[in-house]
Amino acid sequence: MSNPDPSPDLRLSLKTQGGDNVATVLDDLLDCTAIAGGVTIDQGIPFGHKVALVSISKGEAILKYGVVIGHAKTAIREGEHVHVHNIA
Amino acid sequence: MSTTLHDPIGKGWRRADGRIGVRNHVIAFSTVALTDRVTALAAAQVSGVLPITPAFQRGLRGDDATLQEEMIKAIIAHPNVGAALVVTHDRSSADRLQAVCSEVEKPIFVVALMAQRGMQAAQESLTTKLRSLLDATAGQSKSEFNLSNLTVALECGGSDATSALCANPAIGRFVDLLIEAGGTAIVSETAEFLGGEDVVRAQSKTPQIADAILAHLSAEEAMMNSDGTDYRGVNPTQENIEAGLSTLTEKTMGALCKIGTSRFAGALNFGERPKGKGLFFMNTPFFSPTSLTGMVLGGAQVSLFAMGVFNPSGLPLAPTIKICGNPKTLSDWPDAIDLDVSDVISGKSRYDEAADEIRMAMRRISEGQMTCAEKLQEGQIILPITQAPL
Repeated sequence: MSNPDPSPDLRLSLKTQGGDNVATVLDDLLDCTAIAGGVTIDQGIPFGHKVALVSISKGEAILKYGVVIGHAKTAIREGEHVHVHNIA
Repeated sequence: MSTTLHDPIGKGWRRADGRIGVRNHVIAFSTVALTDRVTALAAAQVSGVLPITPAFQRGLRGDDATLQEEMIKAIIAHPNVGAALVVTHDRSSADRLQAVCSEVEKPIFVVALMAQRGMQAAQESLTTKLRSLLDATAGQSKSEFNLSNLTVALECGGSDATSALCANPAIGRFVDLLIEAGGTAIVSETAEFLGGEDVVRAQSKTPQIADAILAHLSAEEAMMNSDGTDYRGVNPTQENIEAGLSTLTEKTMGALCKIGTSRFAGALNFGERPKGKGLFFMNTPFFSPTSLTGMVLGGAQVSLFAMGVFNPSGLPLAPTIKICGNPKTLSDWPDAIDLDVSDVISGKSRYDEAADEIRMAMRRISEGQMTCAEKLQEGQIILPITQAPL
């Protein structure tokens, strides 16, 4: 695990690997804010939780750290909260 | 920094078996639950004694019985133990323990409660012996040691998104230094390797070592799948899920940041001592007090504990350094965290700097500074039990 330092540009919404389709929200005071890649995220996603960076179809792999961490149980909109309610 | 990797980082107690203690504990160790209370009462009367009362059972079977016997010896022989009062119930157990202790070169008393007369007299006998052990260890000389003398337990608890971004990668960077300096690290919690099989293959010294680790992972997965239970909510835990982690693989990928770029030198069973230096995997349950027990009784003198949301675990025999990168946890639990690495999120600090802070904390603790968990006397010794006792 070579763990490159997080890029300061991305620190409020951390996407750790290039191919990831989710990012970690690291500032829960942000609401409806454009983040890396120009994605507008839903309000109220808590600190440390994930947001979809692109639209994700039901059954599609969820990529974080460049690794498949789970699959979508339902279709997920760009900017939507990604957690146990919609992935497994 | 590489020029100073072999410099002394502290002074410790060199044991007869060559290992270094970063503490010189006098332990009051009850080896069976029947004597836990009287041992705790005696220990409470003598300042500076560390009580070890792990509720060990009679009637264990097979490997469970063997493990408990081996762990009793591992506690007494641990490098952070300078002297031990070993308490048991019956005379025959005391004879057996006396034989075990004869192989360990340090001041030790073995006492059978049944050889005493009355609880008051028993307590007095134990406290007298504890005072005598404190006298025997007072003023023992210390010698300098460096990272190559250390075995460090790597643990994480209360995992959240910051664990993967701050504390675990900072520990990983420190582990790179530790291994380069000739030291040893142990990482455990088999369930939290599931989903990380590719990392194990890529970061093992030989295919045989990878296979040995992966065999433990397969056994764990088979166990989890064998009873039809959905373990989400058990692991990831409810607090992991509340903090934003959704799946075990997501948790695993954060936890694995602790190993840095080093390659595994071997796979260990619970509580087994590494043969040689380097990075080792240990097969343990995921509950922090239990996994810490395995690694510390395997010889770790210090534990590095990455924390996201709060987790009070520690292990009394070895200083547990709590490292956290979650700003809310740091603000809510200031008296229970040793190191703040949250600046990595804001970009004010980098992993190299965080790793250096860990090394400096290691030095302060080696010089005698107590960790938060030590001040709170936090921690338990818990052994995994696989079969119903008799």
